[in-house]
Amino acid sequence: MSLAAEAFVSQMAAAEPWPESATLYQPLKEDQILLSDCASSLAVQAYLRMCGLPVQVVCRANAEYMSPSGKIPFIHVGNQVVSELGPIVQFTKAKGNSLSDGLDDVQRAEMKAYMELVNNMLLTAELYIQWCDDATAAEISRPRYSSPYSWPLSNILAYHKQWEIRRKMNAIGWGGKTLEQVYEDVTQCCQALSQRLGTQPYFFNKQPTELDALVFGHLFTILTTRLTSMELAERIKSYSNLLSFCRRIEQTYFEDKSS
Amino acid sequence: MAAAMELRCWGGDWGLPSVHTESLIVLAYAKFSGAKVTVSPIDWTWKTLTATVPELLCGDSAVQEPTQIINFLRKQRFNADYELSARQGADTMAYTALLEEKLRPALLHTFWVDAENYANLTRPWFASRSPFPLNFLVPMHHANTALSRILLTKGEAPLHRITEVEGKIYSDAKECLNLLSYRLGTATNFFGNTPTSLDAFVFGFVAPIYKASLPSSPLQSHLRQLDNLTSFCDNILALYFSSDHPCPSPPVQETMDANLQKLTQLVNKESNLIEKMDDNLRSSPQHKPHRPDPKPSLASEKSSTPA
Repeated sequence: MSLAAEAFVSQMAAAEPWPESATLYQPLKEDQILLSDCASSLAVQAYLRMCGLPVQVVCRANAEYMSPSGKIPFIHVGNQVVSELGPIVQFTKAKGNSLSDGLDDVQRAEMKAYMELVNNMLLTAELYIQWCDDATAAEISRPRYSSPYSWPLSNILAYHKQWEIRRKMNAIGWGGKTLEQVYEDVTQCCQALSQRLGTQPYFFNKQPTELDALVFGHLFTILTTRLTSMELAERIKSYSNLLSFCRRIEQTYFEDKSS
Repeated sequence: MAAAMELRCWGGDWGLPSVHTESLIVLAYAKFSGAKVTVSPIDWTWKTLTATVPELLCGDSAVQEPTQIINFLRKQRFNADYELSARQGADTMAYTALLEEKLRPALLHTFWVDAENYANLTRPWFASRSPFPLNFLVPMHHANTALSRILLTKGEAPLHRITEVEGKIYSDAKECLNLLSYRLGTATNFFGNTPTSLDAFVFGFVAPIYKASLPSSPLQSHLRQLDNLTSFCDNILALYFSSDHPCPSPPVQETMDANLQKLTQLVNKESNLIEKMDDNLRSSPQHKPHRPDPKPSLASEKSSTPA
Protein backbone atom coordinates (compact mmCIF):
# COMPACT_ATOMS: atom_id res chain seq x y z
CA MET A 1 0.00 0.00 0.00
CA SER A 2 1.41 3.41 -0.90
CA LEU A 3 1.87 6.04 1.77
CA ALA A 4 -0.84 8.25 0.33
CA ALA A 5 -3.26 5.35 0.39
CA GLU A 6 -2.22 4.56 3.94
CA ALA A 7 -2.83 8.14 5.04
CA PHE A 8 -6.20 8.05 3.31
CA VAL A 9 -7.15 4.83 5.05
CA SER A 10 -6.27 6.22 8.46
CA GLN A 11 -8.33 9.33 7.69
CA MET A 12 -11.24 7.12 6.78
CA ALA A 13 -10.69 4.98 9.85
CA ALA A 14 -10.90 7.95 12.16
CA ALA A 15 -14.35 8.79 10.88
CA GLU A 16 -16.07 5.57 11.94
CA PRO A 17 -16.28 3.99 15.40
CA TRP A 18 -15.20 0.38 15.99
CA PRO A 19 -18.04 -1.86 14.76
CA GLU A 20 -19.36 -4.88 16.66
CA SER A 21 -18.92 -7.04 13.60
CA ALA A 22 -15.08 -6.79 13.44
CA THR A 23 -13.52 -10.13 12.52
CA LEU A 24 -10.01 -11.56 12.75
CA TYR A 25 -9.07 -14.23 10.23
CA GLN A 26 -6.52 -16.98 10.84
CA PRO A 27 -5.86 -20.49 9.47
CA LEU A 28 -7.74 -23.50 10.90
CA LYS A 29 -6.89 -23.74 14.58
CA GLU A 30 -6.97 -27.50 15.01
CA ASP A 31 -5.28 -28.94 11.94
CA GLN A 32 -3.58 -26.18 9.96
CA ILE A 33 -2.11 -23.22 11.86
CA LEU A 34 1.62 -23.25 12.53
CA LEU A 35 3.50 -22.00 15.57
CA SER A 36 4.64 -18.67 14.08
CA ASP A 37 1.21 -17.77 12.66
CA CYS A 38 -0.50 -18.82 15.86
CA ALA A 39 1.86 -16.57 17.85
CA SER A 40 1.24 -13.56 15.60
CA SER A 41 -2.50 -14.13 15.72
CA LEU A 42 -2.51 -14.44 19.51
CA ALA A 43 -0.47 -11.22 19.77
CA VAL A 44 -3.09 -9.31 17.76
CA GLN A 45 -5.93 -10.84 19.79
CA ALA A 46 -4.18 -9.88 23.03
CA TYR A 47 -3.62 -6.37 21.74
CA LEU A 48 -7.28 -5.89 20.77
CA ARG A 49 -8.42 -7.26 24.13
CA MET A 50 -6.10 -4.87 25.94
CA CYS A 51 -7.68 -2.04 23.93
CA GLY A 52 -11.13 -3.36 24.83
CA LEU A 53 -12.07 -3.77 21.17
CA PRO A 54 -14.32 -6.77 20.49
CA VAL A 55 -13.30 -9.03 17.63
CA GLN A 56 -14.65 -12.32 16.43
CA VAL A 57 -12.04 -14.94 15.48
CA VAL A 58 -12.81 -16.77 12.25
CA CYS A 59 -10.73 -19.72 10.99
CA ARG A 60 -10.39 -20.09 7.25
CA ALA A 61 -8.24 -22.59 5.37
CA ASN A 62 -7.24 -19.94 2.84
CA ALA A 63 -6.58 -17.13 5.35
CA GLU A 64 -3.04 -16.68 4.06
CA TYR A 65 -4.32 -15.98 0.56
CA MET A 66 -7.06 -13.66 1.80
CA SER A 67 -4.61 -11.43 3.64
CA PRO A 68 -3.56 -8.27 1.76
CA SER A 69 0.11 -8.77 2.67
CA GLY A 70 0.05 -12.57 2.56
CA LYS A 71 0.71 -12.65 6.31
CA ILE A 72 -1.37 -13.93 9.19
CA PRO A 73 -3.49 -12.62 10.90
CA PHE A 74 -5.61 -9.87 9.40
CA ILE A 75 -8.68 -8.07 10.63
CA HIS A 76 -11.76 -7.03 8.73
CA VAL A 77 -13.31 -3.91 10.24
CA GLY A 78 -16.16 -2.14 8.50
CA ASN A 79 -14.99 -1.94 4.91
CA GLN A 80 -11.28 -2.14 5.67
CA VAL A 81 -8.82 -5.01 5.83
CA VAL A 82 -5.58 -4.62 7.80
CA SER A 83 -2.93 -7.29 8.35
CA GLU A 84 -0.14 -7.78 10.93
CA LEU A 85 0.34 -6.26 14.35
CA GLY A 86 2.20 -3.06 13.34
CA PRO A 87 -0.41 -1.77 10.86
CA ILE A 88 -3.24 -2.92 13.14
CA VAL A 89 -1.77 -0.85 15.99
CA GLN A 90 -1.69 2.19 13.69
CA PHE A 91 -5.21 1.47 12.54
CA THR A 92 -6.64 1.35 16.06
CA LYS A 93 -4.67 4.49 16.93
CA ALA A 94 -6.44 6.30 14.07
CA LYS A 95 -9.70 5.18 15.65
CA GLY A 96 -8.67 6.70 18.96
CA ASN A 97 -7.54 3.53 20.76
CA SER A 98 -3.91 3.52 21.75
CA LEU A 99 -2.01 1.78 24.53
CA SER A 100 1.25 3.68 24.15
CA ASP A 101 0.01 7.27 24.39
CA GLY A 102 1.18 7.57 27.98
CA LEU A 103 4.81 6.89 27.03
CA ASP A 104 7.36 9.60 26.35
CA ASP A 105 9.61 9.62 23.25
CA VAL A 106 12.45 7.67 24.83
CA GLN A 107 10.10 5.01 26.19
CA ARG A 108 8.40 4.70 22.82
CA ALA A 109 11.81 4.21 21.19
CA GLU A 110 12.55 1.51 23.74
CA MET A 111 9.19 -0.18 23.13
CA LYS A 112 9.73 -0.26 19.37
CA ALA A 113 13.27 -1.59 19.84
CA TYR A 114 12.08 -4.48 22.02
CA MET A 115 9.29 -5.26 19.57
CA GLU A 116 11.88 -5.56 16.82
CA LEU A 117 13.94 -7.79 19.09
CA VAL A 118 10.99 -10.18 19.34
CA ASN A 119 10.44 -10.11 15.58
CA ASN A 120 14.12 -10.41 14.80
CA MET A 121 14.84 -13.27 17.21
CA LEU A 122 11.73 -15.13 18.37
CA LEU A 123 9.73 -14.98 15.15
CA THR A 124 12.76 -15.85 13.02
CA ALA A 125 13.63 -18.72 15.36
CA GLU A 126 10.07 -20.05 15.13
CA LEU A 127 10.22 -19.93 11.33
CA TYR A 128 13.63 -21.60 11.37
CA ILE A 129 12.48 -24.46 13.57
CA GLN A 130 9.29 -24.95 11.56
CA TRP A 131 10.83 -25.04 8.11
CA CYS A 132 14.59 -25.55 8.41
CA ASP A 133 14.67 -28.30 11.03
CA ASP A 134 14.06 -31.39 8.88
CA ALA A 135 12.28 -33.41 11.57
CA THR A 136 9.83 -30.62 12.45
CA ALA A 137 9.22 -29.75 8.81
CA ALA A 138 8.47 -33.36 7.85
CA GLU A 139 6.41 -34.34 10.89
CA ILE A 140 4.54 -31.13 11.66
CA SER A 141 4.91 -28.15 9.34
CA ARG A 142 4.41 -29.64 5.88
CA PRO A 143 1.48 -31.94 6.79
CA ARG A 144 -0.29 -29.26 8.79
CA TYR A 145 0.34 -26.45 6.32
CA SER A 146 -1.06 -28.46 3.43
CA SER A 147 -3.85 -30.25 5.32
CA PRO A 148 -6.79 -28.52 3.55
CA TYR A 149 -5.50 -29.43 0.10
CA SER A 150 -5.47 -32.71 -1.77
CA TRP A 151 -2.50 -34.33 -3.45
CA PRO A 152 -0.56 -33.10 -5.48
CA LEU A 153 -1.39 -29.49 -4.60
CA SER A 154 -0.65 -30.17 -0.93
CA ASN A 155 2.93 -31.19 -1.71
CA ILE A 156 3.52 -28.34 -4.11
CA LEU A 157 2.30 -25.67 -1.68
CA ALA A 158 4.13 -27.09 1.32
CA TYR A 159 7.47 -27.44 -0.47
CA HIS A 160 7.07 -24.03 -2.06
CA LYS A 161 6.52 -22.45 1.35
CA GLN A 162 9.52 -24.29 2.75
CA TRP A 163 11.68 -23.16 -0.17
CA GLU A 164 10.57 -19.57 0.33
CA ILE A 165 11.37 -19.56 4.05
CA ARG A 166 14.76 -21.20 3.48
CA ARG A 167 15.66 -18.55 0.90
CA LYS A 168 14.73 -15.91 3.43
CA MET A 169 16.88 -17.57 6.11
CA ASN A 170 19.83 -17.67 3.72
CA ALA A 171 19.35 -14.00 2.87
CA ILE A 172 19.50 -12.90 6.52
CA GLY A 173 22.42 -15.16 7.32
CA TRP A 174 20.51 -17.76 9.36
CA GLY A 175 20.92 -20.42 6.68
CA GLY A 176 24.18 -21.69 8.11
CA LYS A 177 23.01 -21.80 11.72
CA THR A 178 22.55 -25.05 13.57
CA LEU A 179 19.50 -25.83 15.69
CA GLU A 180 21.62 -25.44 18.80
CA GLN A 181 22.68 -21.91 17.77
CA VAL A 182 19.04 -20.97 17.19
CA TYR A 183 18.11 -22.21 20.67
CA GLU A 184 20.99 -20.16 22.01
CA ASP A 185 19.62 -17.04 20.26
CA VAL A 186 16.19 -17.69 21.78
CA THR A 187 17.77 -17.99 25.22
CA GLN A 188 19.57 -14.67 24.76
CA CYS A 189 16.39 -12.99 23.61
CA CYS A 190 14.44 -14.34 26.58
CA GLN A 191 17.17 -13.25 28.92
CA ALA A 192 17.01 -9.73 27.51
CA LEU A 193 13.22 -9.66 27.84
CA SER A 194 13.42 -11.05 31.36
CA GLN A 195 15.99 -8.42 32.35
CA ARG A 196 13.90 -5.65 30.87
CA LEU A 197 10.71 -6.84 32.56
CA GLY A 198 12.33 -7.28 35.97
CA THR A 199 9.70 -7.35 38.70
CA GLN A 200 7.21 -5.08 36.97
CA PRO A 201 3.76 -6.42 36.03
CA TYR A 202 4.13 -5.12 32.45
CA PHE A 203 7.09 -3.83 30.44
CA PHE A 204 6.15 -0.23 31.11
CA ASN A 205 4.98 -0.76 34.67
CA LYS A 206 1.20 -0.69 35.32
CA GLN A 207 -0.16 -0.22 31.83
CA PRO A 208 0.12 -2.89 29.10
CA THR A 209 1.34 -1.79 25.66
CA GLU A 210 1.59 -3.45 22.26
CA LEU A 211 4.98 -4.79 23.33
CA ASP A 212 3.29 -6.80 26.10
CA ALA A 213 0.79 -8.17 23.59
CA LEU A 214 3.55 -9.20 21.18
CA VAL A 215 5.72 -10.85 23.84
CA PHE A 216 2.70 -12.65 25.31
CA GLY A 217 1.61 -13.90 21.88
CA HIS A 218 4.96 -15.49 21.17
CA LEU A 219 5.88 -16.82 24.60
CA PHE A 220 2.44 -18.23 25.38
CA THR A 221 2.24 -19.98 22.02
CA ILE A 222 5.70 -21.49 22.37
CA LEU A 223 4.88 -22.68 25.89
CA THR A 224 1.59 -24.30 24.93
CA THR A 225 2.48 -25.84 21.55
CA ARG A 226 3.80 -29.37 21.22
CA LEU A 227 6.67 -29.68 18.74
CA THR A 228 8.92 -32.65 18.00
CA SER A 229 11.02 -31.60 20.97
CA MET A 230 10.08 -29.36 23.88
CA GLU A 231 13.50 -27.71 23.89
CA LEU A 232 12.16 -24.31 22.81
CA ALA A 233 9.60 -24.20 25.65
CA GLU A 234 12.20 -25.46 28.13
CA ARG A 235 14.44 -22.51 27.28
CA ILE A 236 11.67 -20.08 28.24
CA LYS A 237 10.67 -21.96 31.39
CA SER A 238 13.89 -21.00 33.15
CA TYR A 239 12.75 -17.37 33.31
CA SER A 240 10.16 -17.29 36.08
CA ASN A 241 9.17 -13.66 35.63
CA LEU A 242 8.31 -14.28 31.96
CA LEU A 243 6.15 -17.25 32.99
CA SER A 244 4.21 -15.25 35.54
CA PHE A 245 3.92 -12.43 32.98
CA CYS A 246 2.22 -14.84 30.57
CA ARG A 247 -0.06 -16.15 33.29
CA ARG A 248 -0.98 -12.61 34.35
CA ILE A 249 -2.03 -11.57 30.83
CA GLU A 250 -3.89 -14.83 30.27
CA GLN A 251 -5.85 -14.38 33.49
CA THR A 252 -6.57 -10.68 32.96
CA TYR A 253 -7.55 -10.71 29.33
CA PHE A 254 -8.45 -14.25 28.27
CA GLU A 255 -9.81 -16.16 31.24
CA ASP A 256 -13.35 -14.74 31.51
CA LYS A 257 -14.30 -15.59 27.95
CA SER A 258 -12.58 -18.91 27.43
CA SER A 259 -13.84 -20.60 30.59
CA MET B 1 46.92 -11.64 25.50
CA ALA B 2 46.39 -13.42 22.24
CA ALA B 3 48.40 -13.34 19.06
CA ALA B 4 48.32 -10.43 16.66
CA MET B 5 44.89 -9.84 15.20
CA GLU B 6 44.33 -8.97 11.59
CA LEU B 7 41.07 -7.53 10.32
CA ARG B 8 40.08 -7.87 6.71
CA CYS B 9 37.60 -5.25 5.58
CA TRP B 10 36.70 -2.86 2.81
CA GLY B 11 38.88 0.23 2.70
CA GLY B 12 37.91 3.75 3.63
CA ASP B 13 36.71 6.79 1.73
CA TRP B 14 34.28 9.69 2.11
CA GLY B 15 36.02 10.58 5.37
CA LEU B 16 35.24 7.18 6.88
CA PRO B 17 37.70 4.43 7.89
CA SER B 18 35.61 1.99 5.83
CA VAL B 19 32.65 2.47 3.52
CA HIS B 20 31.17 -0.88 4.49
CA THR B 21 28.70 -0.93 7.40
CA GLU B 22 29.81 -4.23 8.95
CA SER B 23 33.49 -3.35 8.63
CA LEU B 24 32.80 0.01 10.20
CA ILE B 25 31.04 -1.58 13.19
CA VAL B 26 34.03 -3.82 13.90
CA LEU B 27 36.58 -1.05 13.39
CA ALA B 28 34.68 1.22 15.77
CA TYR B 29 34.30 -1.51 18.40
CA ALA B 30 38.00 -2.34 18.18
CA LYS B 31 38.84 1.32 18.83
CA PHE B 32 36.34 1.57 21.71
CA SER B 33 37.64 -1.55 23.41
CA GLY B 34 41.27 -0.70 22.83
CA ALA B 35 41.99 -3.86 20.84
CA LYS B 36 45.11 -3.64 18.72
CA VAL B 37 43.90 -4.78 15.33
CA THR B 38 45.95 -4.62 12.15
CA VAL B 39 43.63 -3.47 9.41
CA SER B 40 44.27 -4.99 6.02
CA PRO B 41 41.90 -3.69 3.37
CA ILE B 42 40.89 -6.18 0.72
CA ASP B 43 40.83 -3.48 -1.96
CA TRP B 44 42.46 -4.35 -5.30
CA THR B 45 42.89 -8.02 -4.41
CA TRP B 46 40.97 -11.12 -5.43
CA LYS B 47 39.65 -11.27 -1.90
CA THR B 48 37.05 -8.69 -2.96
CA LEU B 49 35.16 -11.64 -4.38
CA THR B 50 36.30 -14.59 -2.29
CA ALA B 51 36.51 -13.22 1.25
CA THR B 52 33.60 -12.60 3.58
CA VAL B 53 34.20 -9.24 5.15
CA PRO B 54 34.72 -8.26 7.84
CA GLU B 55 36.87 -11.17 8.94
CA LEU B 56 39.09 -11.25 11.99
CA LEU B 57 42.16 -13.49 11.77
CA CYS B 58 43.79 -14.39 15.05
CA GLY B 59 46.33 -17.19 15.02
CA ASP B 60 44.57 -20.16 13.47
CA SER B 61 41.03 -18.94 13.98
CA ALA B 62 39.00 -16.80 11.62
CA VAL B 63 35.84 -15.07 12.84
CA GLN B 64 33.22 -13.48 10.62
CA GLU B 65 30.19 -11.23 11.14
CA PRO B 66 30.21 -8.23 13.51
CA THR B 67 28.39 -9.88 16.43
CA GLN B 68 30.69 -12.92 16.32
CA ILE B 69 33.81 -10.74 16.07
CA ILE B 70 32.66 -8.58 18.97
CA ASN B 71 32.02 -11.71 21.05
CA PHE B 72 35.47 -12.99 20.10
CA LEU B 73 37.10 -9.70 21.13
CA ARG B 74 35.19 -9.83 24.40
CA LYS B 75 36.67 -13.25 25.13
CA GLN B 76 40.13 -11.77 24.47
CA ARG B 77 39.25 -9.29 27.25
CA PHE B 78 38.66 -6.39 24.91
CA ASN B 79 35.28 -5.49 26.34
CA ALA B 80 33.76 -2.09 25.72
CA ASP B 81 30.53 -3.19 27.45
CA TYR B 82 32.19 -4.06 30.73
CA GLU B 83 30.41 -1.36 32.75
CA LEU B 84 26.94 -1.99 31.39
CA SER B 85 24.23 -3.37 33.67
CA ALA B 86 22.22 -6.42 32.61
CA ARG B 87 19.33 -4.15 31.73
CA GLN B 88 21.58 -2.04 29.49
CA GLY B 89 22.89 -5.20 27.86
CA ALA B 90 19.28 -6.12 27.06
CA ASP B 91 18.72 -2.64 25.62
CA THR B 92 21.79 -3.09 23.41
CA MET B 93 20.29 -6.26 21.94
CA ALA B 94 16.95 -4.57 21.37
CA TYR B 95 18.36 -1.52 19.60
CA THR B 96 20.63 -3.70 17.48
CA ALA B 97 17.54 -5.64 16.38
CA LEU B 98 15.80 -2.33 15.63
CA LEU B 99 18.68 -1.32 13.35
CA GLU B 100 18.66 -4.68 11.58
CA GLU B 101 14.93 -4.73 10.98
CA LYS B 102 14.17 -1.10 10.24
CA LEU B 103 17.33 0.60 8.98
CA ARG B 104 19.12 -2.21 7.14
CA PRO B 105 16.63 -2.54 4.22
CA ALA B 106 16.71 1.19 3.47
CA LEU B 107 20.51 1.28 3.81
CA LEU B 108 20.86 -1.53 1.29
CA HIS B 109 18.35 0.12 -1.00
CA THR B 110 20.07 3.51 -0.84
CA PHE B 111 23.47 2.18 -1.82
CA TRP B 112 22.72 -0.82 -4.03
CA VAL B 113 19.22 -0.67 -5.47
CA ASP B 114 18.58 3.04 -6.04
CA ALA B 115 19.60 3.36 -9.70
CA GLU B 116 21.13 6.83 -9.48
CA ASN B 117 23.24 6.15 -6.40
CA TYR B 118 24.33 2.78 -7.70
CA ALA B 119 25.44 4.12 -11.08
CA ASN B 120 27.15 7.26 -9.80
CA LEU B 121 28.57 6.30 -6.45
CA THR B 122 28.44 2.68 -5.32
CA ARG B 123 29.35 0.86 -8.51
CA PRO B 124 32.22 3.21 -9.46
CA TRP B 125 33.61 2.95 -5.95
CA PHE B 126 33.49 -0.82 -5.60
CA ALA B 127 34.54 -1.39 -9.20
CA SER B 128 37.53 0.90 -8.78
CA ARG B 129 38.63 -1.09 -5.73
CA SER B 130 38.42 -4.49 -7.44
CA PRO B 131 41.03 -5.86 -9.85
CA PHE B 132 40.14 -6.61 -13.45
CA PRO B 133 37.95 -8.53 -14.30
CA LEU B 134 36.32 -8.58 -10.88
CA ASN B 135 35.40 -4.92 -11.30
CA PHE B 136 32.48 -6.13 -13.38
CA LEU B 137 31.44 -8.88 -11.00
CA VAL B 138 31.83 -7.52 -7.48
CA PRO B 139 29.40 -4.56 -7.62
CA MET B 140 26.81 -6.59 -9.47
CA HIS B 141 27.10 -9.44 -6.99
CA HIS B 142 26.55 -7.09 -4.06
CA ALA B 143 23.64 -5.36 -5.79
CA ASN B 144 21.89 -8.64 -6.50
CA THR B 145 22.39 -9.85 -2.93
CA ALA B 146 21.02 -6.58 -1.57
CA LEU B 147 17.97 -6.61 -3.83
CA SER B 148 17.05 -10.17 -3.04
CA ARG B 149 17.54 -9.60 0.67
CA ILE B 150 15.16 -6.64 0.64
CA LEU B 151 12.58 -8.54 -1.37
CA LEU B 152 12.79 -11.67 0.75
CA THR B 153 12.57 -9.89 4.08
CA LYS B 154 10.21 -7.02 3.27
CA GLY B 155 8.54 -8.05 0.01
CA GLU B 156 4.94 -9.05 0.07
CA ALA B 157 3.97 -12.38 -1.41
CA PRO B 158 3.14 -13.38 -4.09
CA LEU B 159 4.65 -10.78 -6.43
CA HIS B 160 7.69 -9.52 -4.49
CA ARG B 161 8.17 -6.29 -6.42
CA ILE B 162 10.57 -3.61 -5.29
CA THR B 163 8.36 -0.59 -6.07
CA GLU B 164 5.74 -1.85 -3.65
CA VAL B 165 8.09 -1.92 -0.69
CA GLU B 166 10.19 1.20 -1.31
CA GLY B 167 7.84 3.61 0.45
CA LYS B 168 7.49 1.27 3.39
CA ILE B 169 11.18 0.65 3.98
CA TYR B 170 12.03 4.36 3.79
CA SER B 171 9.31 5.38 6.23
CA ASP B 172 10.46 2.59 8.58
CA ALA B 173 14.05 3.80 8.31
CA LYS B 174 13.16 7.43 8.99
CA GLU B 175 11.16 6.35 12.02
CA CYS B 176 14.15 4.30 13.19
CA LEU B 177 16.47 7.33 12.86
CA ASN B 178 13.98 9.42 14.84
CA LEU B 179 13.81 6.79 17.59
CA LEU B 180 17.61 6.64 17.80
CA SER B 181 17.73 10.41 17.99
CA TYR B 182 15.20 10.43 20.86
CA ARG B 183 17.14 7.70 22.64
CA LEU B 184 20.46 9.50 22.29
CA GLY B 185 19.03 12.85 23.38
CA THR B 186 21.77 15.30 24.30
CA ALA B 187 24.24 12.64 25.44
CA THR B 188 27.46 11.89 23.56
CA ASN B 189 27.13 8.11 23.92
CA PHE B 190 24.19 5.76 24.24
CA PHE B 191 25.24 4.55 27.69
CA GLY B 192 27.34 6.53 30.15
CA ASN B 193 30.63 8.21 29.42
CA THR B 194 32.34 5.69 27.18
CA PRO B 195 31.12 4.29 23.86
CA THR B 196 29.92 0.66 23.85
CA SER B 197 29.01 -1.94 21.26
CA LEU B 198 25.67 -0.23 20.65
CA ASP B 199 27.50 2.97 19.74
CA ALA B 200 29.60 0.93 17.31
CA PHE B 201 26.49 -0.51 15.67
CA VAL B 202 24.70 2.82 15.36
CA PHE B 203 27.87 4.43 14.01
CA GLY B 204 28.31 1.66 11.44
CA PHE B 205 24.75 2.03 10.16
CA VAL B 206 24.40 5.79 10.29
CA ALA B 207 27.84 7.12 9.30
CA PRO B 208 27.80 5.86 5.66
CA ILE B 209 24.40 7.49 5.09
CA TYR B 210 25.73 10.68 6.62
CA LYS B 211 29.11 10.85 4.87
CA ALA B 212 28.57 9.38 1.41
CA SER B 213 27.93 11.94 -1.32
CA LEU B 214 24.75 10.33 -2.53
CA PRO B 215 23.14 11.83 -5.65
CA SER B 216 19.69 10.93 -4.39
CA SER B 217 18.80 10.09 -0.86
CA PRO B 218 15.70 10.95 1.12
CA LEU B 219 17.34 9.17 4.03
CA GLN B 220 20.40 11.42 4.00
CA SER B 221 18.37 14.62 3.97
CA HIS B 222 16.29 13.28 6.83
CA LEU B 223 19.40 12.35 8.81
CA ARG B 224 20.95 15.81 8.36
CA GLN B 225 18.03 17.27 10.28
CA LEU B 226 18.80 15.10 13.31
CA ASP B 227 21.68 17.12 14.71
CA ASN B 228 22.47 14.87 17.65
CA LEU B 229 22.98 11.82 15.42
CA THR B 230 25.25 13.65 12.98
CA SER B 231 27.33 15.15 15.75
CA PHE B 232 27.47 11.67 17.33
CA CYS B 233 29.13 10.43 14.12
CA ASP B 234 31.43 13.44 13.84
CA ASN B 235 32.40 12.99 17.46
CA ILE B 236 33.40 9.34 17.02
CA LEU B 237 35.31 10.14 13.84
CA ALA B 238 37.18 12.97 15.52
CA LEU B 239 37.98 11.09 18.72
CA TYR B 240 38.83 7.65 17.38
CA PHE B 241 39.67 7.94 13.70
CA SER B 242 41.13 11.42 13.26
CA SER B 243 44.76 10.27 12.93
CA ASP B 244 43.88 7.95 10.05
CA HIS B 245 41.62 10.37 8.27
CA PRO B 246 41.71 14.10 8.82
CA CYS B 247 38.20 14.84 7.70
CA PRO B 248 36.28 18.07 7.98
CA SER B 249 32.66 17.31 7.18
CA PRO B 250 31.50 18.41 3.73
CA PRO B 251 28.02 19.90 3.72
CA VAL B 252 28.36 21.34 0.18
CA GLN B 253 26.68 18.57 -1.70
CA GLU B 254 25.67 20.21 -4.98
CA THR B 255 29.17 21.24 -6.05
CA MET B 256 30.43 17.81 -5.10
CA ASP B 257 27.81 16.13 -7.25
CA ALA B 258 28.69 18.35 -10.18
CA ASN B 259 32.37 17.46 -9.83
CA LEU B 260 31.56 13.83 -9.52
CA GLN B 261 29.45 13.86 -12.63
CA LYS B 262 32.18 15.62 -14.64
CA LEU B 263 34.67 13.05 -13.49
CA THR B 264 32.46 10.16 -14.34
CA GLN B 265 31.82 11.57 -17.78
CA LEU B 266 35.54 11.85 -18.41
CA VAL B 267 36.19 8.23 -17.68
CA ASN B 268 33.39 6.24 -19.23
CA LYS B 269 35.08 4.40 -22.03
CA GLU B 270 33.82 0.95 -21.17
CA SER B 271 30.36 2.13 -20.34
CA ASN B 272 28.51 0.19 -22.99
CA LEU B 273 29.90 -3.14 -21.96
CA ILE B 274 29.03 -2.58 -18.32
CA GLU B 275 25.59 -1.40 -19.27
CA LYS B 276 24.85 -4.52 -21.26
CA MET B 277 26.02 -6.88 -18.55
CA ASP B 278 24.20 -4.88 -15.96
CA ASP B 279 20.89 -4.64 -17.75
CA ASN B 280 20.83 -8.35 -18.30
CA LEU B 281 21.18 -9.04 -14.64
CA ARG B 282 19.18 -6.23 -13.16
CA SER B 283 15.61 -5.71 -14.18
CA SER B 284 15.30 -2.17 -12.81
CA PRO B 285 15.86 0.55 -15.44
CA GLN B 286 18.84 2.88 -15.23
CA HIS B 287 18.31 6.58 -15.79
CA LYS B 288 21.77 7.94 -16.40
CA PRO B 289 23.03 7.65 -19.98
CA HIS B 290 26.66 7.57 -18.90
CA ARG B 291 28.41 4.92 -16.89
CA PRO B 292 31.55 5.67 -14.99
CA ASP B 293 34.61 3.68 -15.78
CA PRO B 294 36.23 2.13 -12.73
CA LYS B 295 39.70 3.59 -12.30
CA PRO B 296 41.72 3.90 -9.12
CA SER B 297 42.40 7.50 -10.08
CA LEU B 298 38.69 8.23 -9.85
CA ALA B 299 38.51 7.04 -6.31
CA SER B 300 41.50 9.04 -5.17
CA GLU B 301 40.25 12.20 -6.82
CA LYS B 302 36.80 11.66 -5.45
CA SER B 303 38.03 11.31 -1.91
CA SER B 304 40.00 14.49 -2.26
CA THR B 305 36.97 16.45 -3.43
CA PRO B 306 35.04 16.43 -0.18
CA ALA B 307 38.06 17.15 1.98
